[in-house]
Amino acid sequence: MFPSGNYTDPAKTTSPKLVLPFYLYAAVSFLCAAVLLLFSVKDFTGHYFNPHMLAITHIMALGWCTMIILGASHQLVPVIIEGSLFSPFLARSSFIFSAIGIPVLVYGFYQFNMGWPSRMGGMLIVLSVLSYVVNLGLSISKSGNESVQSSFVLTASLWLLVTTIIGLLLVYNFSIPLLPHNSVAYLSFHAHIGIVGWFLLLVMGVGSKLIPMFLISKYQHNSMLWWIFGLVNGGLLVFAVCFLYNSAAYLFFLPLVLILAAVFLFMFFCYKAYRERIRKKVDEPMKLSLLSVLIMAIPPVMMIVLLLVLTGTNKTPAKLVTAYGFLVFFGWLTAIILGMTFKTLPFIIWNKVYHRLLGKIKAPNPRELYNDKIVQVMLYCFFAGLGVFVTGILVESVLLLRAGGMLLLVTAILYNWNVMYLLKHKVQPG
Amino acid sequence: MNVTTNNQLMATIALAALQNVEDPEIGLNVVDLGLIYQLDFEETEKKVYCTMTLTTQFCPMGGSIRDNCLHSLQAAFPGYEIIVRLQFDPPWNADRISEEGRKFLGR
Repeated sequence: MFPSGNYTDPAKTTSPKLVLPFYLYAAVSFLCAAVLLLFSVKDFTGHYFNPHMLAITHIMALGWCTMIILGASHQLVPVIIEGSLFSPFLARSSFIFSAIGIPVLVYGFYQFNMGWPSRMGGMLIVLSVLSYVVNLGLSISKSGNESVQSSFVLTASLWLLVTTIIGLLLVYNFSIPLLPHNSVAYLSFHAHIGIVGWFLLLVMGVGSKLIPMFLISKYQHNSMLWWIFGLVNGGLLVFAVCFLYNSAAYLFFLPLVLILAAVFLFMFFCYKAYRERIRKKVDEPMKLSLLSVLIMAIPPVMMIVLLLVLTGTNKTPAKLVTAYGFLVFFGWLTAIILGMTFKTLPFIIWNKVYHRLLGKIKAPNPRELYNDKIVQVMLYCFFAGLGVFVTGILVESVLLLRAGGMLLLVTAILYNWNVMYLLKHKVQPG
Repeated sequence: MNVTTNNQLMATIALAALQNVEDPEIGLNVVDLGLIYQLDFEETEKKVYCTMTLTTQFCPMGGSIRDNCLHSLQAAFPGYEIIVRLQFDPPWNADRISEEGRKFLGR
């Protein structure tokens, strides 16, 4: 008989039917962004504010990065907040609003039509994020979990909501003067609230749970994580005040230093988790995820250079700004996603296909559900493409931009091939 | 291996069956990983009770690992009712990994 004690049912996982459409949508978005990038290489030799670059940036930020993060986050909510997802209906609504809103918005930007397409797309995206925030907030409230990771994820989702509302305001501001200045003046504000508040905070919160978990590391340091949380949010609030009160360029070093300190502390946290890991061998997707933690330092360091140039010359270095934005979306965030896709998706598929058959048939290992060699080739293409394209931006070479764009397109094709291969997986006969 | 039992012989059979169940993320079986806390047997009522844990309570693979243990024990003890329960007090920690498990993990 059972000894006395508290017994628990296994955590209720989110249905794969809710999560997989996000992964599929993100993969197709990455491919579309890579195709558009190749057709728009000439735009990368000019000023960063142009319709094609605006469209590509939003496919990358929303269709690729945000959609896959939303999907993974619906799947990982039970792990992060230690409770189950509050409403599958809200999760589905979030997907549907975004799935329609993103292409409509991108079409509007590509055509530079700030009328109905951009407005309607923007509104649908705000609705999608609102569904996600409400769902997450209620899930956390129901679980009663007040861990540092829950705070990271919830705060990040609130910053995402702020980002999308500002974005919608900027779209309207092109034709109806709602704000004191023209919309272009607020681009860096909109972008940094999104990059730091949503992406950076979320990656740090989720990473602080998943990296030690995947490495089987004993390392935990909640007070360090609270410091990181405070530094990022503090930096972002100082940035908002500096921006809205038109402060001198040198004052922007203050939020930058706070955020850079948070990035270095997070890198130290990951290093300690790595050092204290029980599993010595680190697999390829995990290596890439750890590498992307290092890449995380490149954008803020580039921002220091940008600010130094800006304070020294009083001119915005357009090429550096383009390279910076490109490195954030095609570099840092894409590296994380390429790594984490193959750490999460095979397990979701494996659970879906083999859950009821375990112990009855010999199930393959989740790592055998995708082609590891293709992942390796994809990564070579990715890093080569990234390096060549950034060099092309800096030296204004269309030839290098084309070569880099081709390599990134191959990366996207190989990624999509593996994702489709995974999604189509069925029980193997015999 | 720190597993308590009321029947050493049957526990040996059960553990041999459970060694076929792997944590799919780690690739190590649940016995060497130290996930099995207790195995009890009621031969008159033909029941097997397995108390186990997971490396983390909210492991997304938790349901699959538990069901895999259930099916493996069903195959090892035909005609018995198998009851597998999860317990997180005390929580799992790395000290529960066996010597073989440590070798497998490269430690």
